[in-house]
Amino acid sequence: MSSPGGQGGALSTRGAAGPRRMKWALELSLGNTRGRGDRQSKDGDVMYPVGYSDKPVPDTSVQETDRNLVEKRCWDIALGPLKQIPMNLFIMYMSGNTISIFPIMMVCMMAWRPIQALMSISATFKLLESSSQQWLQGFVYLIGNLLGSALAVYKCQSMGLLPTHSSDWLAFIEPPQRLEIMGGGMML
Amino acid sequence: MAGLCSVFSVCLCLLGFSAAVFEDQVGKFDWRQQFVGKVQFALFDTHSQASKKLLVATEKNIFASLNSRTGDLFWRHVDKTGPDGHINTLMMHGQDAVVVVGNGRLLRSWETTVGGLNWETVLDTGSFQSAAYIGVQDVVRYVAVLKKSAISLHYLSSGHQKWVENLPESDTVQYQTVYSGGNGQVFVLGVVPNSHIVIVEYNIEDGEIMKQKSVAAPWLSSLQSSCVMVGSGVLLCADPTTKSLYTFPLQSADQTTMTPILLEPVLISTQPHPARPPLSEFFLQLGPDYHILLQLKDGLVSTLRDFNPSYLVAFATTGEKTVAAVMSPKNETVSILFILSNSDPFHLHTYSASVINLYSADTGRRLLDTTIIYSMDPNGGKPAKLYIHTFLKKDDSVGYRVLVQTEDLVLTFLQQPGRVVWSREEALADVVTMEMVDLPLTGTQAELEGEFGKKADGLLPMVLKRLSSQFILLQAWMSHLWKLFYDARKPRSHVKNEVTFETLSRDEFNLQKMMVMVTASGKLFGIDSKSGTVLWKQYLENIQPNSVFKLMVQRTTAHFPHPPQCTLLVKDKVGLGSLYVFNPIFGKKSHISVPALPRPILQSLLLPLMDQDYSKVLLLIDDQYKVTAFPSTKNVLQQLQEMASSIFFYLVDSSQGRLSGFRLRKDLSTELIWEVVIPTEVQKIVGVKGKRANEHVHSQGRVMGDRSVLYKYLNPNLLAVVTESTDSHQERSFVGIFLIDGVTGRIVHEAVQRKARRPVHFVHSENWVVYVYWNTKSRRNEFSVLELFEGMELYNSTVFSSLDRPRPPQVLQQSYIFPSPISTLEATLTEKGITSRHLLVGLPSGAIVSLPKMFLDPRRPEVASDQSREENLIPYSPEMPIRTEWFINYNQTVSRVRGIYTAPSGLESTCLVVAYGLDIYQTRVYPSKQFDVLKDDYDYVLISSVLLGLFFATMISKRLAEVKLLNRAWR
Repeated sequence: MSSPGGQGGALSTRGAAGPRRMKWALELSLGNTRGRGDRQSKDGDVMYPVGYSDKPVPDTSVQETDRNLVEKRCWDIALGPLKQIPMNLFIMYMSGNTISIFPIMMVCMMAWRPIQALMSISATFKLLESSSQQWLQGFVYLIGNLLGSALAVYKCQSMGLLPTHSSDWLAFIEPPQRLEIMGGGMML
Repeated sequence: MAGLCSVFSVCLCLLGFSAAVFEDQVGKFDWRQQFVGKVQFALFDTHSQASKKLLVATEKNIFASLNSRTGDLFWRHVDKTGPDGHINTLMMHGQDAVVVVGNGRLLRSWETTVGGLNWETVLDTGSFQSAAYIGVQDVVRYVAVLKKSAISLHYLSSGHQKWVENLPESDTVQYQTVYSGGNGQVFVLGVVPNSHIVIVEYNIEDGEIMKQKSVAAPWLSSLQSSCVMVGSGVLLCADPTTKSLYTFPLQSADQTTMTPILLEPVLISTQPHPARPPLSEFFLQLGPDYHILLQLKDGLVSTLRDFNPSYLVAFATTGEKTVAAVMSPKNETVSILFILSNSDPFHLHTYSASVINLYSADTGRRLLDTTIIYSMDPNGGKPAKLYIHTFLKKDDSVGYRVLVQTEDLVLTFLQQPGRVVWSREEALADVVTMEMVDLPLTGTQAELEGEFGKKADGLLPMVLKRLSSQFILLQAWMSHLWKLFYDARKPRSHVKNEVTFETLSRDEFNLQKMMVMVTASGKLFGIDSKSGTVLWKQYLENIQPNSVFKLMVQRTTAHFPHPPQCTLLVKDKVGLGSLYVFNPIFGKKSHISVPALPRPILQSLLLPLMDQDYSKVLLLIDDQYKVTAFPSTKNVLQQLQEMASSIFFYLVDSSQGRLSGFRLRKDLSTELIWEVVIPTEVQKIVGVKGKRANEHVHSQGRVMGDRSVLYKYLNPNLLAVVTESTDSHQERSFVGIFLIDGVTGRIVHEAVQRKARRPVHFVHSENWVVYVYWNTKSRRNEFSVLELFEGMELYNSTVFSSLDRPRPPQVLQQSYIFPSPISTLEATLTEKGITSRHLLVGLPSGAIVSLPKMFLDPRRPEVASDQSREENLIPYSPEMPIRTEWFINYNQTVSRVRGIYTAPSGLESTCLVVAYGLDIYQTRVYPSKQFDVLKDDYDYVLISSVLLGLFFATMISKRLAEVKLLNRAWR
């Protein structure tokens, strides 16, 4: 029986509950309701007026310094994938070309992140909407991600995971059909 | 360091090949049967009453002891093949058996209880004539061995020679018989054909010639075939031309002749104890089915009893009693009684039975209650030899058991009143060729299969039919489960699956098959591959020795309403050749009309074409190179006309060194299109092998270290022809190998192995040929492997035509030293060809080695590089190892392996193997291990309990989580 009013107070009839002298009582404060000890809030017993908020309201008016900050922030987003490339190169170099669980996980991560980014590129564009250089930033972002995925492909290639050799297709070659029927042997 | 590395990598590679059997797997899927062959001499151990020994010496140079109660082998000695190991005679005295081996080369005495050798003496050279025990005063002390020009006497106890004497005038007289009456003399009888008999008497002590005389006998050509010793020193001879009998007492000086008129005489007599004279009674065979028992008394021959008709006669002795056993055809009353008394319906087909009776040798009277009824197998041959084992019963009457050998080499041991104690199929000691045929589906499975073949008759009946067949399947599955459960409770050794025709059906992985075996004696067998039970047998009469057999499966079991069909082509060196068509599952002769073969057949060719009733077309090429088709229905002839221009065949005439290729014309005549002549003065063709028709190659190439592909040269028409030089000098002898395209006759490759000699064994499969030869220079056996590749790209990946091959293949070759001689060689075969190949090598020691083909790879590098390591190539080392876990038959040695047959099973990992020779051994091999089956020791209980536990744990924890969530929601 949670009260839908929240801070609006709780009304409870206690007529049948206990041997009190009052026939009824209206309790306007929170917290003293029976059995709800954990609902007792620290700010407690004071009733706030309607419309009161105890959080300060931020000042939303746009200022000139903020616009520069937005621009900077947007460039950060756009250059993010490119900044990761040196790190990725280092990881690639460190993990080596052997096929084992760790390098595979690295490659998967490296390949998956740009793809994910490219798939949610419209969301990123929305983020960049406020910037004046939106298209340039978007382009840089795209290039960075493409470079990242190219790097992953290159890594796959150097690990031998790409079916680029003829041996990768060997299992699909059907045995050729024979045109002549031949048999015989030693004269009996 | 590099060496260490390579050794290490080899060890790593070897780890993958430990294919040995575990101890608890012994006998689980393999079995062995041991045989002895056609019996020449059989002796019962009469030394003691309770003895169970039966000694046999056979034409396969085997001396063995059989358990006369069960027919199992006590022990067996396999001597050399050929005349060197031939057993000339077998004699038994007490516990010891004396054997003369190798045309009188060796005299051996065997202890018969355990089969140990007492002593062995090398005899002087000279062709063996006969041997006999020599007794003095009721004790056997010596063995006399008669050679062409000498006689020697040996102590029975030690084999030492007492004396040896040259025979007088041995260049003109043919000495053939040695005889001793037990009174201190040794008589040697010789004959100058068509002139006279020479009788020489020796003193037993010093070998001095006591007497020498000659008796005129212008009618006599051989003593052994027409003379016997009867009574006390009476020589009895029969003259087939004048149909007369002659007697001559050895001791007397004067010569007598007696001439009763007789027909086709063959004489049979007996000498119960070597130290005493033979009995005066003897059998005279007058016709093929006619014997009489005669007695010679005071120079007079009197008839004791007349046996007409009678197949076989024999004498036997126990204690003081000598009896004669006579096998005669049963009379009608007996046969009716027999059939009534026999409850087994299978034997009702036995229409011919014979009766064996005992007769007293002295009087010719029939002994009471001594009848044995011998029922002949209608699919078998006639009885050929009779051996009698007599013993004295408690009431002093004579009891006996009979060993009968028939023409189709069945040894049957019978006891009164006709119960077969055991029988052995000795024809299986000489398997010539075999095939494995899939077993038919069970009735229910066939029902389900048959549904698809039938025409649709409405939707509802189809649904109903499907439901009913599914219900039957469910029922069958339930009963199967029940059986599994029921069997699981019994210990494994007690679960013995009796295989009968009723229970015969394909198992789920097609591991159980029917082995159709053709033996040299002309007897066909159908053997269940799982248990080794002979399910059917069929004796083909009138098969000449040295006939050639070719067995072909014309229709498999896959075409349900039609029965499977096998065709056996039999041809002897001079005859026309004949076809025998039968059902390989039940062994019944098929009623299909077989084409008449008016001309000798040179070869046959099984085409992949099919008739309407799904039987493959068999082409028979006669000596005028005309072709007969079987079956030859209109449909087949039409198909043949359409296909004629693409049907080719080749013939190899090794006597003229000629290989010729022919093309079929539309009118079923042929035209010669190529001919290769290998000059017979220099070399002769040893063998030619094409590829097996049922071989599949999964991978069309090999992956190199740089991940490019080296494509295999998979020419289905390629023939491997092996020749050897006629000059056998060790410096000049060579072995040649030619790879010839069978369609065009083009020699694809030619290699000569210098200083090499036979025996040559070879296998031709996929894109490789492996051959083994004896290197005369280094005196060792060597393996050589040839592998053919097309190169880095395929010429034509869709079709293969031998007529359009512009580029020759690349050929790689490598040789290795093999530490053992080899009896036979075969390659494993699997369903799809994905599994790696192994070579099965039969060794003369009786072992079968499963050698990974990986070791026989001409691309093995001398120095290991990164690329070769990438390819898993083992660095080259000339010595081929033999590892003990490669022996697939652990201790079940297969004596004298003649051939190994491999067949694919329903499982890709498994290949069925049958090794045949003197013994038959069947097993399975897993060249790439069992990658598609769970292991035998797979822990079902653990896995299922873990699964169940996890399942319940999830359920419980889910419930707990729900409760907790709810509780949290309440707070």
